[in-house]
Amino acid sequence: MSNFTIPVGPLHVALEEPMYFRIDVHGETVNHVTINAGHVHRGIEYLVTKRNVFQNVVLTERICSLCSNSHPQAYSMAIEQIAGLTVPPRAEYLRAIADEIKRIASHLFNVGILAHLVGFDSLFMHVMEVRERMQDVKESIFGNRMDIGANTIGGVRYDIDPERIGFLQQQLDAIEPEIEEIISIYSTDNSILRRTKGIGVLSHAEALDCGVVGPVARAAGINYDVRVKAPYAAYDRLQVPVHTLSDGDVWSRAMIRLQEAHTSIDLIRQCLAALPEGPTVATEERPPIPPGEAIAKCEAPRGELIYYVRMTDSPKPERVKWRVPSFLNWDALGIMLKEAKIADIAIIVNSIDPCISCTER
Amino acid sequence: MSVMPTDIESRLTAAASAGIHYGQTTDAKGVVTAWCRLAASEDLLAVASLLKTMGTRLSTITVFQPKAPPEPPKAKEGEIPAPVPTFFGGVIQDGKTYEIDYHFDIDGDTLTITAHVPTGGQIDSLTPLYRAADWPEREAMEMYSLVVRNHPNPQRLFLDPSIDNAAFERLIPYSTLVNSAASKSLWEKIMAQTGPKS
Repeated sequence: MSNFTIPVGPLHVALEEPMYFRIDVHGETVNHVTINAGHVHRGIEYLVTKRNVFQNVVLTERICSLCSNSHPQAYSMAIEQIAGLTVPPRAEYLRAIADEIKRIASHLFNVGILAHLVGFDSLFMHVMEVRERMQDVKESIFGNRMDIGANTIGGVRYDIDPERIGFLQQQLDAIEPEIEEIISIYSTDNSILRRTKGIGVLSHAEALDCGVVGPVARAAGINYDVRVKAPYAAYDRLQVPVHTLSDGDVWSRAMIRLQEAHTSIDLIRQCLAALPEGPTVATEERPPIPPGEAIAKCEAPRGELIYYVRMTDSPKPERVKWRVPSFLNWDALGIMLKEAKIADIAIIVNSIDPCISCTER
Repeated sequence: MSVMPTDIESRLTAAASAGIHYGQTTDAKGVVTAWCRLAASEDLLAVASLLKTMGTRLSTITVFQPKAPPEPPKAKEGEIPAPVPTFFGGVIQDGKTYEIDYHFDIDGDTLTITAHVPTGGQIDSLTPLYRAADWPEREAMEMYSLVVRNHPNPQRLFLDPSIDNAAFERLIPYSTLVNSAASKSLWEKIMAQTGPKS
């Protein structure tokens, strides 16, 4: 068998977004992977220093569509710390509801793509059909299907009335048995199991070494979820089970996402049951933002999202830095792909739920 | 429930021989955010080694050049001139000095270690200790002219090797950035190549 190099990307049928992989293979087996990024780098970390604090809520929402709620949320949380704003209880619950709706849609999207890559296209279409209900929920409650514009500094920009609560509950009741059925299919179907069990393994020790986060970490047995470890919004008042598995393979990562999507239904129900009355923003006026610095983090669908903000006496931030979950998870791909078969490359890459828009900012 | 060790400040002080400035806050939900400024950036490796033994995770690294404070009015004859503004530890705050913030996660709490490096200075790589430092350090090296000492793989990450580093420190005209693809220059480029229609 000979050694050769396969270029994958930056534009490739197996990739939804541009990324370049230089894959050295020996016969059918991967030897080494080099990742080259930067194909859609937009310089948003520079742009946020050219806009004022309030304009950046809109800009950070456009970093990525699947995590579009997490970015403005973490950014707003950091500004609220600097300004000493207390988010009203109703807004905290509404933030958690928006977070979980986005999580269900994001996780189902990734698990659906896995079915497509495995060649099980009827399952792919079924999962996407279930996900479509959450897209309908977003459209009905927020007016948009991806960038939902839920957050503002000091609270949220949306509210839900009994009619919309009823629609949300109806959709949750509808997707709950569907997700349970999908979990059962992914747990038992041979087409899925053959292609995902024992594939793209990241051990517990390797996961700790790489510092991976989110479902990639939890599938390798790391019990870390920002909603529990560093609670924000209403999560300190919710029962949030953290799902972990120990095998660290493609199947485990998919199962964690499915279990979390199922848990999100319960979390939304908990929020609706406890939703307090009251205002949805800390102040109707634009609050003054004093000089200061803050750290904020939240659990985006792909894992821990951390924001650092430094304000001076200017209305524009001096620095806003964020680290998206995919940033750490990319590096772990080198380990997951080692000794993998060429046919499994796309499945393994998809298993970290890679977000190139987030990574390249 | 915070897990930040109660003696963290004394442990950091023992590790950083040149001294530290430490502070921490706890939010309404009990999450601790701690800040530790190093007097000397040379203490970074010793502090990071200590944090490694405590099982911390490096979340990310922030690099930027804090603006210099406005210049004070010139001292009149006989007056003592205002002191040159400096960061904790004595590095001059001239608008070009790098502030490097290392954000560590301690099971949900965050500890930020800050070092200041003057222009043309160097900072030790944390990648041999924390694999998660690899990408942030490589990104810092291409966005700024900061030198990260002993990085095991100082390859470009986002910028093409043909582009000069320190992209955050230079003014790049938009027409250059987009290779004249979206401006009047594009039209002029085409006209120069094809000439006007007869």
